[in-house]
Amino acid sequence: MKNKAEKKVPGGKLIRVTVETDVTMSKIVNVMFTGDFYMHPEEEIHTLENSLKGTKIDENEFKRIITNFFENEIIQILGASPEDFLEILVTALSG
Amino acid sequence: MNNVDVWRVLDLETNDCATNMAIDEAILFHISEGKVPNTIRTYRWNPSAVSIGYFQSVYEEVNIEACQSKSVDVVRRITGGGAVYHDYEGEITYSVLVRDNDPKIPKDIIKSYQLICQGIIYALADIGIDATFKPINDIIAGTKKISGNAQTRRKPGKDIVMLQHGTILRDLDIKKMFSVLRVSKEKISDKLIEQVEQRVTSIRRELGDKLVDFETLKNSLERGFSKTLSIQLERSTLTESERKLATEFKEKKYGAKDWVFKR
Repeated sequence: MKNKAEKKVPGGKLIRVTVETDVTMSKIVNVMFTGDFYMHPEEEIHTLENSLKGTKIDENEFKRIITNFFENEIIQILGASPEDFLEILVTALSG
Repeated sequence: MNNVDVWRVLDLETNDCATNMAIDEAILFHISEGKVPNTIRTYRWNPSAVSIGYFQSVYEEVNIEACQSKSVDVVRRITGGGAVYHDYEGEITYSVLVRDNDPKIPKDIIKSYQLICQGIIYALADIGIDATFKPINDIIAGTKKISGNAQTRRKPGKDIVMLQHGTILRDLDIKKMFSVLRVSKEKISDKLIEQVEQRVTSIRRELGDKLVDFETLKNSLERGFSKTLSIQLERSTLTESERKLATEFKEKKYGAKDWVFKR
């Protein structure tokens, strides 16, 4: 199952997500965030995506992983917020 | 004048897109290792090319068939941000590379964009265009965008380095730009072109159909950056080691399909 969602952040940038789940929609198999937002170090996006892989479909679980990721002070984001990442992920999976 | 900082400035160069992006990263690495001074460069793109932001999907942003048929190259940047069409005649690009702990560089990212962008605003004033900074990272003439900019900070060696690169529109061919970029799902209609003409402008349009040559633009940009950063520029070239690393980045990264098509 492949799901997509996107959001134009007011006053910010566009953020999209493509998320694949197993057939029973119980866990994330693959996830990719794309868009014209800024985040550095850029390669860290893979850390976020990898830590979401295998996660059961549960908003609290997503929230915990995303919050945890952005709490790392080396990560700087511009044009979107951690809440936007969570919101589009939830939107994509509730479609 | 002993305490004026001296930075290196490289001459305006024209390269293919993979080389242009590889040079930025090679310089970044060498500054991080403390091997070369803070650096400013200006460059053009031949063949014309589309660059996409680090996080963008090439499939979502670029009309790959149109690029192939028009001999327009595609490259992924190490910076975030949006897709840009870099026309050989239509724009000039710059990069500013500086140690992140330099006291001149604000820790606040938007303030640091503003500081570097002020150099472009001075350059535009120099050629007769009144422009202002529009956060996060645009420069506008009136209400229309004339320059887009992107930044990263990374630490491949000893020190964190800030890279800001960006583009100043010299002349604008919206139809060509739209033919190589995927513009949502809408067709490229006259109405859409009209809308973009109200949002984006170029030096040529702002000066009432007058073209400014690249040498003049380069000189104005160099003066603008010296002024905003209170630095002195010393003309130099890439070191042998930077050239070598740039060749490596070009072959293994920017010119490689798995990098360009990774998202």
